[in-house]
Formats: sequence, C-alpha cells, structure tokens
Amino acid sequence: MKKNVILKIDNVSYRYKDAKKDEYTLKNVNYEFELGKTYAIKGKSGTGKTTLLSLISGLENKYEGNIFYKNENLKKINLDKYRNTYIGIIFQSYNLLPHLTALENIMLSMDISNLKGINKKEKALSLMESVGLDKSLANRRVLKLSGGEQQRIAIARSLSYNPDIILADEPTGNLDKETEDEIMKIFENLAKKENKCVIIVTHSKNVSDNVDVVYEMKKS
Amino acid sequence: MYIFKNSFKSISRNKGRNILIGIIIIVISCACAVTLSILNAANKIVSSYEEKYQIKASIGMNREKLVESFKESSSGEDMINSFNNIESVTKEEIEKYADSKYVSSYYYTYTLNMNSSNLKEATDSLVKETTTTTTRTETFGGGNYPGRPDGNYGGKRSTTTTKKTEEIKNLKAENGAFKLIGYNSYEAMTDFINGSYTITSGEVSSDFESNTCVISEELASLNNIEVGDTITLTSPKDSKITYELTVSGIYKENTEDSDDMTNMFSASVNDIITNSNVIESILALSDDLNAELNPTFILTSSDVVDKFSEEVTGKGLSEYYQVTNNLSEVESATESINNVKTFATTFLIITLIIGGVVLFVINMINIRERKYEIGVLRTIGMSKFKVISEFVIELLVVTIFGLIIGAGIGSLSSVKIANSLLENEIQNSTSNVEKINSNFGGHMFGEGGPQNKINGLVTIEKADSINAVVDIKVLGELLLIGVGLTFISSLASMISIQRFSPLEILRERS
Ligand SMILES: Nc1ncnc2c1ncn2[C@@H]1O[C@H](COP(=O)(O)OP(=O)(O)O)[C@@H](O)[C@H]1O
Ligand SMILES: [Mg+2]
Repeated sequence: MKKNVILKIDNVSYRYKDAKKDEYTLKNVNYEFELGKTYAIKGKSGTGKTTLLSLISGLENKYEGNIFYKNENLKKINLDKYRNTYIGIIFQSYNLLPHLTALENIMLSMDISNLKGINKKEKALSLMESVGLDKSLANRRVLKLSGGEQQRIAIARSLSYNPDIILADEPTGNLDKETEDEIMKIFENLAKKENKCVIIVTHSKNVSDNVDVVYEMKKS
Repeated sequence: MYIFKNSFKSISRNKGRNILIGIIIIVISCACAVTLSILNAANKIVSSYEEKYQIKASIGMNREKLVESFKESSSGEDMINSFNNIESVTKEEIEKYADSKYVSSYYYTYTLNMNSSNLKEATDSLVKETTTTTTRTETFGGGNYPGRPDGNYGGKRSTTTTKKTEEIKNLKAENGAFKLIGYNSYEAMTDFINGSYTITSGEVSSDFESNTCVISEELASLNNIEVGDTITLTSPKDSKITYELTVSGIYKENTEDSDDMTNMFSASVNDIITNSNVIESILALSDDLNAELNPTFILTSSDVVDKFSEEVTGKGLSEYYQVTNNLSEVESATESINNVKTFATTFLIITLIIGGVVLFVINMINIRERKYEIGVLRTIGMSKFKVISEFVIELLVVTIFGLIIGAGIGSLSSVKIANSLLENEIQNSTSNVEKINSNFGGHMFGEGGPQNKINGLVTIEKADSINAVVDIKVLGELLLIGVGLTFISSLASMISIQRFSPLEILRERS
C-alpha cells in the first residue's frame, strides 16, 4: 500500500438483502483514495454510487471483501467512532436536524465526536464563515434556510471535528451552477490546503472535470 | 453531558408532541392517584375494622365430639358423669397457648358462683324450705287372693307408714346466688366496651388487683348499698369461707329489648363484677370451689387463625374443646369495603393497561416521525446507546412532569373522595371513644383511662389534608407507575432505534 493511501476498497461486492440471488449492486470494486486529493465517483443513476458511499461511511458492513481505513479493517473497528471522528459525510438531502439552529447542528457533531479543549461556538462560527455563510444565520433554524445555505452548513458540520476524509453524495445536485462552483472551491481548498481526502459522488460533468481522480461506475 | 442538553432542546422545540404524551400521562397518573388513595383509604378502614373487631380466638366446647362420646355412654348417669369429668381449661393452659407468635395479646374471664352473708340476692322466685310428711295406710280386707304367693289370708290388717321428707331448697343458693365475674383487663370487659353495661356511679377500679367490685343498680338499691360499702361473699359449699370486697362502682344494664316482661329484674342483676385476682384469691381458700375460665386470644392477623388452632391442638387442648374465632364476623363487617377495594384494583389495572397501550402506540407513532432524526444522529456517529438515552431522558422528563401534575390533581380530589368514603367510619369512631370512657365511669380521658388500654380502640381522623390519604406509600406507588410508564414509552423507542438502520431511514427520505 502506498504511503498516502488513507482508504482502500478491496474487492468489495454487495447485494441488498431483498435482491435476487446473483443480483449484485456492487461487484468486485477496487478503489484507493489518498490524502490531499479530490475524487469523483461518476456513473449513471442506479449504478450503486450511494450504496458504495454507505459502505465506505460504515453505515453498512455486511459486504464481501474489505474496506481499510489507514490499514484498519472497517469490519473490526467501532463504526460510531469512525463516523464521528475520521470521516465527514455530506448528503444530497443535507440531513440536518430541523429543530436545531445552524450553529447547534454544527456544534452537535462536535459534541458527538467528543472534542475537548476548544471553544466550540467560536470554531463553529469560523467554519460557517469559511463555507461562505453569514454569521447572522447562526441562530436560525435550518428549515428557514435555503438549499445552498443548508448544504454549506452540512459541509461545515462535516468539517467541525476535523476528519481525514470528506464523503459527499451529490452535494451540488440541488444547487445552481454558481453555488456548485463555490462549493467545489471549498472542497478543492480542503484537499490542497488542509490535506484532506475529498470523495464526491456526482453525475455532474462540471464536478468531475474539477477533481484529481475520477472513478467511473458501471452497472454490474 | 450534551445528551441532556439535547433532550431538553428537543422537548422545548417539539411541544405539540410532548404535550400529547404529557396529557396521556396526566390522565393516567390522575386516575391512578385517585384509585391508589381510595385503595389506601379502604385499607385503612379495613385495618381499623380489624383492630376494632380484632381477630379473636377463644376456646369452646366441641359439641360434636361431646355428642359422639355420649352416644357411647349406656345410661344418662354415665353421660352426666363423663360430662363432669371433662376438665375445664386452666390458667396455666391458657398461658401456654398464649405464648405463641400468632397471639398479640390475650385476656380471660373467670366466672364463679358465690353466696353472700350480707347481701340478699334479687330473685322473683319464692324461696321455701319445707318438710312434708306423708302417711299412707294400706288396708287389706278379708278374702282370698289367689295367685298371690306370699299373701296374707283371713282378714289380717297391716299398716305401712312411708315417711317422705321433701326439702325444697333454694337451688340457686346451693350453687351460689351471685355470679362473680373476674376480668383481667379492660379489654376483656366487652359488655362495658360495647355499652351493654354502663357505670352510673363510682368506677371500675383500674388496677385489676384490688379487692373491689362493681354491682348492679338493682342489687345496690335492694340492699341499700352505696359506693364504698363492703360486701362479704361466702362459699356455697362452706359458709365459713368468706371474702370481703369493697364496692367501687354501680353499673346499669342497658337492655334494649323491652319484650322480656316476664322477669322482675334484668338478667345480670346478681352479677358482681370484679377482677381475676380476686377470683384467684377466693379459689385459693378452698379446693371445693370451681371457677369457669374463658380465654380470648387476640391474633396478629386473620391469616394465622388456622395456624393458631393447629398450634393449640398440638399443645394438648382436650379433644372436647375446640378453638373458635370471630373471623366470619369481621369479614362480614369489611365486606363492602373489600368490594370497593376490588373495584378500585380492577379500575387501576384497566387504567394501567389501556394507558400503557395508548402510550406505547403514541410513542411508536412518534418514533416513526422521528425516524429521520434517529437516522441523522446515527449517521453523524452517535451510538445507539446514546440515541436511546436521549430519547429516554426526554420521555422521563415529560413523564415526571405529567406525573407531578396528574398526581397533584388526583391527590387533591382524592381527599374529598376518601373523606366521603370514610365518613361513616369517622363519625362512629370519634363518638365511640368518648362513650367507652364514660361506660367505665370516671377516668374521663385521663392518662390511665380505658381509651389508652384498650387495644382495639382507634379513632379514624378526618382526612383534612392530602397527607392523610396520599402518604409515602401512595407516592411510592405513583413513582413506580411513573417508572413503568416511562419504561413502556421508552420500550417503543428502544425497539425502533435498535431496528432502524440509518441507511434505510435516510434513503427513505431522499
Ligand atoms: N434498500 C434497497 N434494497 C434493494 N435494492 C436497493 C436498495 N437501495 C438501492 N437499491 C438498488 O441498488 C441499486 C443502486 O442504487 P444506488 O446506490 O442508490 O444508486 P445511485 O446512487 O448510483 O443512483 C439500484 O438499482 C437500486 O434499485
Ligand atoms: Mg445516489
């Protein structure tokens, strides 16, 4: 394994429980991801991109083959800790908690990952600024924010505990081109300036054109 | 911990949902508080009944056994003999039986028939002592009586004189004209407790040792006796054996039925009431005197009646005696209250079952609505345990609030309910204590007065505050119900959170 490889997908096959016997959603997938690079996982709808992301993020672990994070097999580690410390997940539908404010959503992730010795509120506010959000939105319930604003908060939340890997499932799918460009800029900066591994699932050519590596998924 | 912070935020920002659960809890706990305090009040009544009508066991003749053994006797004389040979229960025996973990206290009553040298008994039957001499003369006239083996023939005259002395003595006097009744405690004096007898002057001496007695009003006026006078008792078997008692009080028998017009005096007119110590002293004077001894054992609870009977039989009670009890009496007195208890218990169970089911379903629906929240929390790395904890804390807080409000409302209204339920008991018991004190004469509310010495005498206080019906026990039970309701509510979320896969939840949404 090369030195910079942070995540390795080793011959992974996956079949949904209710699918027919030989109907695999993922078949023998082998990918490697390094720190400091941006990746795009491309493919038509229904090719299993979201499914793969679920496996990488440890939301599902009944698959064939192995996934390694820093040489550690995901099947053998505490996936709660893995999710709240080492990877940040950004969903197409943002997945923010509607009864909390923007700031509270970000701070909750910091609480869950058990961060200590920092001023969480200050850090959350500075993260909001870094993803292009005005501080005046901090105490607003997320439901009263626009899609682009919610997506930025989701990004800020995923960065709040400083994970190595950022996973984003069609993060710009619901956004206009201008906002998409801005968000892509943020991802690029994360990889280049903060040495993160950024993995973006997308079917947007605009996105795949702006990443370091593109993995193309086909129907198995 | 941030979990608490989150729980409180979640409660305050999802008021609608929590108000619904809160109302259900309020209704359940209000119903439970009322039912529990009714149960509590009913239990108090039952135990006060049990105290008032203590579970008592006494020793009586086993008539079945007697009849059985009399059948074997050939003649009437045998029968009487065998009856007389049955030894009466002794004080030693009673003490032996009373030494039992089932007995909380005991008392006994002696009955001894005595005569008196300076006291005339009240009686409406004539007393006569006559000697009758009957002379019968039989004359056999002349003539032949054939077939008579030893007949006299030929006009011989013979005279047979039969002298028969008939003495009609006062049978009562032979047995003792006065019934001396010796009690060993106030408790034994049931006639005074229930008001059949009341003291009209003087008092019942409280020491149960002194040579004092209480006599009937009628006997006192017949013999011109006042409190402080002395009477002399004599043995019916031997008039040389005497015993002196000072009259400390005069009692009146309160017979309610005026139907009994055939007797001049009341039935108890010749009863002289004294203490067991006096009787024992008299018995010590002569071996010929025999007193009847009736024990009463106050048992610790109604559950031990059979065990006590077995124990007494095991300790050697004669087969001609049996242990009797007043269980059926007490049970019939508490029957209506027990019906209230059964109803309240049923109501409580139904409330809890329906409430529990409703709560469970509401929470299931709630969790369905909160699936998304669970999915998000799990995806950003919150462990199942912490998610469950957060939800349980939320429910616990809502339940405690509902419980406090519901129990508060229920408790306040239960004071009224319990009071109306207890009304009769309260009235009866308060006037009882006053009456009983005066029944014994003197000692009105004094320190050593009867009200402090009679175990069964209890006053039921009117419940004028919540404390009276909602005590620690009810609060504890309510708390237990609260824990149970929280558990049921939480169970719904625990099952759901355990089962939900965040992946599926989030996919469902998008
Ligand atoms: N819970 C599920 N059970 C069975 N099949 C599923 C389930 N979720 C997704 N699939 C199937 O798996 C395939 C891949 O889905 P997905 O990973 O969402 O594709 P993509 O994200 O590339 O559009 C699809 O054919 C879809 O029907
Ligand atoms: Mg997808």
